[in-house]
Amino acid sequence: MTQVTMEEVWKEINLASIHQHRQLNIDHEPVLRNQNPNNSIFQDFLNKPLNKEPPPWSSSTHQGSLLTPPATVISLNPHPIDTHFYKSARFGYSGKKRGQDSDDSRGDRRHKRMTKNRDSAARSRARKQERAYTNELELEIVHLQKENARLKRQEEQLKMAEAAQHQTKKILQRSWTSPF
Amino acid sequence: MSVNNRDPLVVGGVIGDVLERFTRSIDLRVTYGQREVTNGLDIRPSQILNKPRVEIGGEDLRNFYTLVMVDPDVPSPSNPHLREYLHWLVTDIPATTGTTFGNEIVSYESPRPTSGIHRIVLVLFRQLGRQTVYEPGWRQQFNTREFAALYNLGLPVAAVYFNCQRDNGCGGRRN
Repeated sequence: MTQVTMEEVWKEINLASIHQHRQLNIDHEPVLRNQNPNNSIFQDFLNKPLNKEPPPWSSSTHQGSLLTPPATVISLNPHPIDTHFYKSARFGYSGKKRGQDSDDSRGDRRHKRMTKNRDSAARSRARKQERAYTNELELEIVHLQKENARLKRQEEQLKMAEAAQHQTKKILQRSWTSPF
Repeated sequence: MSVNNRDPLVVGGVIGDVLERFTRSIDLRVTYGQREVTNGLDIRPSQILNKPRVEIGGEDLRNFYTLVMVDPDVPSPSNPHLREYLHWLVTDIPATTGTTFGNEIVSYESPRPTSGIHRIVLVLFRQLGRQTVYEPGWRQQFNTREFAALYNLGLPVAAVYFNCQRDNGCGGRRN
């Protein structure tokens, strides 16, 4: 990982305030540094000549890459999506600038919190629904296995009964004596 | 069988967030230790430190399959702006075998979600033939749909997902 100089950081910040949703990994893969906003990073990858050399796979996981950039960019990037993200206390920052505690932003924050909560509740309900569905299927399996066993037993019995009957039919017996 | 609306993949939003609707045609069996992964199962990171055993169905050994493992909920399900994170990529898996017979293009990196409950999705695609797949430059912001389009993999033939959260609590909002 290269050391980032102050000039480079300021350059990043200036670019960040112009562009919409910037990729924030300053000291991540070098290829990302001067990229265009949003998903054009991936598009660029697709247009580039195919990578023959396997790049060094950094051991940093997604959370590792998150921990490094925001410290320098955070309070200077006014984009709403990012402030929303930076509200996560994981970084110990509040996303908003100090002087902005008007009713307007409070309502805004409340509204955002509400939507987040609603989405979280929806995901929770979905998980609950899946658990219920899985349980249902498991019960169904047990039920079908029992019925299957029962039907097989029944079939066996019928087969044996038929075989036994077949046996008795072979032997002709005089059961009633007739007068003639 | 086609994926219906009660299918966990639909209910869990995997169809939509990661994949298109598809019809299952190949068996996919993913096992971590003794636990077989069924849709929506809750698994902790400590249980998935090492790559799972993956066995696939099919009949013809001449058919090859690609397995993709992604986390669409990075860094958190409420704000997945790094969707998707590529955890594992194995190609050239012959039918009826498993990942050990394939080509591990991107090594297995065990999921370690820090915030929220993440879905971890394993998708199986059928390859047109034995092919060279180049690994993407980085794991994050991977796009399974685009990847499939790029290598002409078509729609998935199988998929399964599980839920994963931190070992101690789900790392929710802390203010």
